[in-house]
Amino acid sequence: MTAGNGQAPTVNFTDERLSNGLRLIMSRDPLAPVVAVNIWYNVGSRHEVPGQTGLAHLFEHMMFQGSRNVGKAEHFRLISGAGGTLNGTTWVDRTNYFETVPSHHLELVLWLEADRMGTLLDALGQETLDNQRDVVKNEKRQSYDNRPYGSSSEKLQAAVFPEGHPYHHSTIGSMKDLDAASLEDVRAFFRTYYAPNNAVLSIVGDFEPDVARAWVEKHFGPIPANPNTPAPPDGALPPHIGAEVRQVVPDRVPMSRLYFGYRAPPLGTPEFDALSMATIVLAQGKGSRLYNRLVRGKELAQDVGLGAYEWIGGAALAMGWSTARNEGELEALEEAYHEGVASLAREPPTEEEMTRARATVERDELESLQRVAERADRLSMYATLFDRPRMMNDRLPSLLAVTPEEIREATEAILVPENRVVLSYVPEGSA
Amino acid sequence: MSAHVSSAHASIRPGPGTPRPYTFPGFSRTRLDSGLQVIACHLPGRQVGSARLIMEGGIAREPAELAGVATLAARSMTEGTESLDAAAFADAAERLGADISVDAGWDSLQGSVVVPVSRLEPALGLLADAVLHPTFLAEEVTRLRAERLNDIKQEYADPNQRAQITFLPTIYTPDSPYGRPSGGSAATVGRLDRDAIEAHYRRYAGPQDATLVVAGDLGGVDVPAIAAHLFGTWQGAAPAPGTPPVAEALESTSVTLVARPGAVQSSIVVGHVGVARLVPDFLPITLMVSILGGLFTSRLNLKLREEKGYTYGARAYFDFRRQAGPFGAGTAVATGVTVEAIDDVLTEIRRLHDEGVTPDELALAQDYLVGIFPLAFETPEAISQAIARMVVYGLPEDYFQTYRPAMQAVTVEEANRAAADHLRPDRIAIVTVGDPALEAPLKEAGFGPLTVVGDTAPDEEEG
Repeated sequence: MTAGNGQAPTVNFTDERLSNGLRLIMSRDPLAPVVAVNIWYNVGSRHEVPGQTGLAHLFEHMMFQGSRNVGKAEHFRLISGAGGTLNGTTWVDRTNYFETVPSHHLELVLWLEADRMGTLLDALGQETLDNQRDVVKNEKRQSYDNRPYGSSSEKLQAAVFPEGHPYHHSTIGSMKDLDAASLEDVRAFFRTYYAPNNAVLSIVGDFEPDVARAWVEKHFGPIPANPNTPAPPDGALPPHIGAEVRQVVPDRVPMSRLYFGYRAPPLGTPEFDALSMATIVLAQGKGSRLYNRLVRGKELAQDVGLGAYEWIGGAALAMGWSTARNEGELEALEEAYHEGVASLAREPPTEEEMTRARATVERDELESLQRVAERADRLSMYATLFDRPRMMNDRLPSLLAVTPEEIREATEAILVPENRVVLSYVPEGSA
Repeated sequence: MSAHVSSAHASIRPGPGTPRPYTFPGFSRTRLDSGLQVIACHLPGRQVGSARLIMEGGIAREPAELAGVATLAARSMTEGTESLDAAAFADAAERLGADISVDAGWDSLQGSVVVPVSRLEPALGLLADAVLHPTFLAEEVTRLRAERLNDIKQEYADPNQRAQITFLPTIYTPDSPYGRPSGGSAATVGRLDRDAIEAHYRRYAGPQDATLVVAGDLGGVDVPAIAAHLFGTWQGAAPAPGTPPVAEALESTSVTLVARPGAVQSSIVVGHVGVARLVPDFLPITLMVSILGGLFTSRLNLKLREEKGYTYGARAYFDFRRQAGPFGAGTAVATGVTVEAIDDVLTEIRRLHDEGVTPDELALAQDYLVGIFPLAFETPEAISQAIARMVVYGLPEDYFQTYRPAMQAVTVEEANRAAADHLRPDRIAIVTVGDPALEAPLKEAGFGPLTVVGDTAPDEEEG
């Protein structure tokens, strides 16, 4: 019945830089004949300037539209034909691109990534920009505008972070700004951020590091650095919002739901780790405190959640939610949610709750790290955000070492009324 | 600056190196005296194990008036046993770092455990407790039923799920299980009580038709002995009969608009009844539908997304089950291009049906489906799922060994025949959830007779 017995295997890796500044991290694991390639560019939606919200993500789409030696859709075709998977994602702090392929296709992947890092603008045209602008606008409609409760994350970000703060706006951006994005904007964005010295390349899996290093030199080596990559925007903020913010949001939803947003300390602080453990004690799993109280005990809630986003720009976002089981009980639900949270601010978790939380975080971590793609993504992440890829191995021990009292303190410091936003989604016509 | 990068090497695309050997992992089968089959798959170095208990009693076996009973029976099993109440069970599982659940699919009930292999045995013990000794306490059943009824409300609110809810009874006859929502309707779930749920459990949850699959680093773990210890006393449930048949309802092309005021997109499903899993031309069908809407560079995605910008994505699928599951093509598009998008989807289905695939398209789909094996089966959970499919559909023991050469051997003619035989562009259902103003353009488009239905909530409908 022991948990947290530190059985997470250590991930060994090498860490070096090309002369153009590209950081190369390699970790060999011969368990399966596959290899994951992952690039993090140190640019996300927090780097966007007013009037250009959504540009980082729209740009990510353009990275799949071809480069000097790769045609439109050819990147997908080549990786699929290799029996591989691929994608790219954009988030507040970064943009990542990744492929996992059978090992004998590693050089193809490196060539594809180098070709677009070096020569994207050769293929950039108005037609592909207009096409992907339409695709992204439909992504926004599908994932936000036409989805029940779909506006909640935009509203929370806007309320938790003040106007002008890099996290105030959503990564998907606004329709108006997407419409305004020009070819020159895309070119300038590429020239500013898509340089080898602003990227981390991780390779994890069954491959020969010396051979891979030579391929990386060959394909990425000639790409020039950009000595003028700007520093990330200043995201420093007071630790609290200051006063509770409340909004009622009539929406096309069948059931009322509460969303909670809290301003949190950034990833990389002991307080963030303590908050992460608090969210597990409170709301992860059917054995969690809020589930037991709200879903099982009082039967006020259909579901309950709480989590903290791993953001680094001066602050982070903690976000909770709970759907009312019965209309007319929203106030009781909110009161019970806050009381459940407050109980952890008063009394630290019990030994049983700690065992459960530690076993949960350990299982999640071990499960994620089974996949070479996830290990490559984490190595890129910790190198990009903290210049410390070895956080890969330190993170789980840090989380397991959080004490019950630290969890109580983090709850008392962060999950408090003067630091929260409450959105009440209610069925249209009922408000 | 990038335009001036020059490299003697960069313009030449590298070819592949030498493929490294890959074989689907081997596994052993034994059978307990009770009839329970036990499959163990040793995966050295895989520290997070996956166990899966496959039972009969899937959704397809539900009586029509009790639709949803399989899902509630499955979920009730982990909500209280003779020795642990619901909260204590969850606590015990989570203190092991185990994710334990039981759920219902169309063709089986499946219990699942994901846990570090060092704690595999106690976690399997909890699954055994849930499956052998559930109590179905009335208060827990009532709570789960209320949660299901609320889930159904949310399914109706989601435009893509709403489209499916309308699509399935359009293509299947009323007595076909596959035409019903997989978790039941508000009317049928509303009448499910403890007796109905326990009866479904007693009818199907027994060892004769069941298989336990365990995958992970099993060094030093005697899976058959553990299974005998934990499941040895399991009794009950006579062998299940054949799965109920399904029948096509569609007599001609039909168009249905679920009118949702204010929708900013149209969720579209186009399709008809497909084929069962064990059809002889499963591989050619898999290939041709990948070309139509499976790969990122599929015809539908290239046309609707990469050429027209109508959508974030478009896909097509055959849902292979014991009986003929649905074939569908789906997308969500901006309201103003709804008719054009439906027309494009129909055109691509017809073109594939009439003209077939090109050799290049076929080779790409084959290379993908053959090459993806080592990635697709990277984790014990993925492997236990694959073995579960083998068990549920009665695939041969060497299925995963023969799959790749057989897939590679499919010819253009075979893929073309599969498209001609199994796509039916002239008798097809078109369902759109979108703005009511689409009624006139949809009528004018002339795809087929149009039915407009209101965007009702589930409890406003008849069961």
